[in-house]
Amino acid sequence: MTGGTTASGAPATSRGAGSAGEPADDTPVAAGPPRRSRAAAWRRVAIVLAVAVLALGLAYWRAGNEVVVTQAVLTGLMIGGVYGLVAMGLTLIFGVLDIVNFAHGAFLAIALYTTVEMVGRFDVHPYLALLVSVPLMFLLGAAVQRFVLAGAIGRPLENQLLITLGIALLIDNGLLLFFGPNPRSVRLPGDSGVQVLGAVVTVSRLLAFAVALVLAALLYLLLQRTRLGTAIRAVAANDTGAQMVGIDTRRIYTVTFALGTACAGAAGVLVAPLVTIEPTTGELFNIIAFVVVVLGGMGNVVGALVGGLLIGLTEQLGALYLPGQSPLLSVFIVFVLVLFLRPQGLFGRSA
Amino acid sequence: MRKPWIMAVALPLALTACGGSAPPGTEGTGQGGGGGGAGETITIGSLHPLSGAAAADGQQMDNGAQLAVDAINEAGGIESLGGAQLELASADTQGAPEVGQSEAQRLIQEGAVALVGTYQSAVSQNVAAVAERNSVPFVIDVSSADQILQQGYRFTFRLQPSAAVLGQRGAQYLAEVSENAGQPAQRVAVLHEQGPFGTAITASFTEEAQSAGMEVGPVISYDPASVSDFTTQITTIREAGADVLMVAGYYRDGVLVANAVDTVQPGLDAVWGVANGAFDTPQFPGEVGEAGEGFFDANYRLDTTNPETQALAELYQQTYGDEIRTAAVLSYDAVRVIADALERAGDASPQAVRDAIAETELESLIAQEGPISFDENGENANAAPILMQVLEGAVRQVYPEEYAETEPVYPATPGL
Repeated sequence: MTGGTTASGAPATSRGAGSAGEPADDTPVAAGPPRRSRAAAWRRVAIVLAVAVLALGLAYWRAGNEVVVTQAVLTGLMIGGVYGLVAMGLTLIFGVLDIVNFAHGAFLAIALYTTVEMVGRFDVHPYLALLVSVPLMFLLGAAVQRFVLAGAIGRPLENQLLITLGIALLIDNGLLLFFGPNPRSVRLPGDSGVQVLGAVVTVSRLLAFAVALVLAALLYLLLQRTRLGTAIRAVAANDTGAQMVGIDTRRIYTVTFALGTACAGAAGVLVAPLVTIEPTTGELFNIIAFVVVVLGGMGNVVGALVGGLLIGLTEQLGALYLPGQSPLLSVFIVFVLVLFLRPQGLFGRSA
Repeated sequence: MRKPWIMAVALPLALTACGGSAPPGTEGTGQGGGGGGAGETITIGSLHPLSGAAAADGQQMDNGAQLAVDAINEAGGIESLGGAQLELASADTQGAPEVGQSEAQRLIQEGAVALVGTYQSAVSQNVAAVAERNSVPFVIDVSSADQILQQGYRFTFRLQPSAAVLGQRGAQYLAEVSENAGQPAQRVAVLHEQGPFGTAITASFTEEAQSAGMEVGPVISYDPASVSDFTTQITTIREAGADVLMVAGYYRDGVLVANAVDTVQPGLDAVWGVANGAFDTPQFPGEVGEAGEGFFDANYRLDTTNPETQALAELYQQTYGDEIRTAAVLSYDAVRVIADALERAGDASPQAVRDAIAETELESLIAQEGPISFDENGENANAAPILMQVLEGAVRQVYPEEYAETEPVYPATPGL
């Protein structure tokens, strides 16, 4: 849609000069004037909104009970916020570094247990676990990238896939070993229902939603307005080129992966009051996070948020449209439709 | 695919970490210590999900089977076989049908004379096929799907009530309890997991509820693996004006249902679990707090009015530092069934054990309507669920009368 498509002869796995990778968002590097692509982005947002409004209208008309639809929309937005929150870290790793990271959910599970332990041992407010979980996951992510994954960069995709799958198994069973299989839970003090237009939502979900918005904004600013962000985008676009202009690509890979897992760390703390915490809980989010990343456009944090909201709404409204069907059915219908119309995702750039 | 090395390392560690030492002497045996070493060793295979999403129940069940083996050995082993000792060979199905199948094959090749397991219906289905092919008896402790025993298998037996019995009794108890309280249930909404388990329970429940004069609807299904919020579904149910909500599902989703009911306040007379994986577990009241108060569940249940079961619960707590679940008691019973068959057969060949199991008449540690005995399909003829309710933060047996620890509270509007 925007920018000149580079005719790419290189296979997708090699990320050398002349590779198909494009910057995550408007950059001077992008072909075509930035203003035009910005207008196009807004146009896409408008289209998404129009489709959403249409779907809503249909839902009200079909369900014939506005309270149920309002509740579905509200719940969908809240769930979508969580999906976006979880997917943001993954979009950095999967979208920017091209690492198929099956360990994302497992990293999230570590954050869940960090929260459980902090609340259990020190009786603190669960959100205080952010102070431990985020730095801890940043360091863990850096270590995993540096010592385990670094060798797999630029290698065939299945190498990374198997390595991250192995890491996920290691983490899952490590948690099983240390914390046992019994389910745990975390309560948010003063967590109760809030009325919104006849529908109801809990405080913990509202807060998770708000943090998803804040985190998306922070990451967006980091990528767009800082030297580090520029370097990350440069590496994503063309790592050989980035190396030539003096960027330490190895360090950028490590930092980006660490940022991604730190986001999983933040997501884990916020999701903790909403789920039953077991060693395998993180796996629940894996598939949906990948769906959201691809839908929103690889490496685009705003896309991850919008994609998450879209999936959340689809899931909830789909359950109204197609009662008795799995909500995932409607999710994948939307997913396939979007990719059919825009193979690069809602906010991705043509490759 | 080869098993990742980490599983091979993590699992034995996980098991030793959870204990696994022999239990202290059971009642009556002063100096057990080894029993009659004269006989040989007889291997029983235990197939349960020791890792993965169902690991909590799976490990409990494996522990339950181990305690039964230890108790039998301590009481002198299989006397008709010269005091032969039992040995439990544990395998991890990971909750995956294909893994269960290959592990069952392995245990049989290593000389297991009988198998117990497996928890997931899909896994049990595969293991039953393997047992049948190899003519080795397989005693199902937990798995509800009706079709497992509708293949005309001769080597597979089931202890827990089938989905058909669970759903039918669940509706019958609802009719009786609400009738007795003078508030007969009229409109029952159903929320069930979309797999074979939830669907089968719903079908038999609906049939019985309708014949008892109740209206059933709306019926809403969900995917237990991905669901994360039930507020929309509970709102739909509130708008439909249901007075009771039947829920057939697992632990994680059961907790989400309780939280959503607490948030939406649908004004129900009762939340009515049928074979629900959450509402009658010891950890449920702790996890959801006030939100789960008054929840019912019609399910198979360890018989807390039975002194033997009480002793087992105490032993379990001492040995593994955890509260025993009904599933573990079923595994314990499954091993007892096999040991009892060995004793009566006086022969450790799988065929002889199978024939003896078919003739079983054994008192159960589970609340049921008579001793364990199997019909020609291999179903436990006397298996039936009982009704439990969360009262003051604990799961209590409330119906039928002979198993009641206390009176059922009906209506029990959640959150009040």
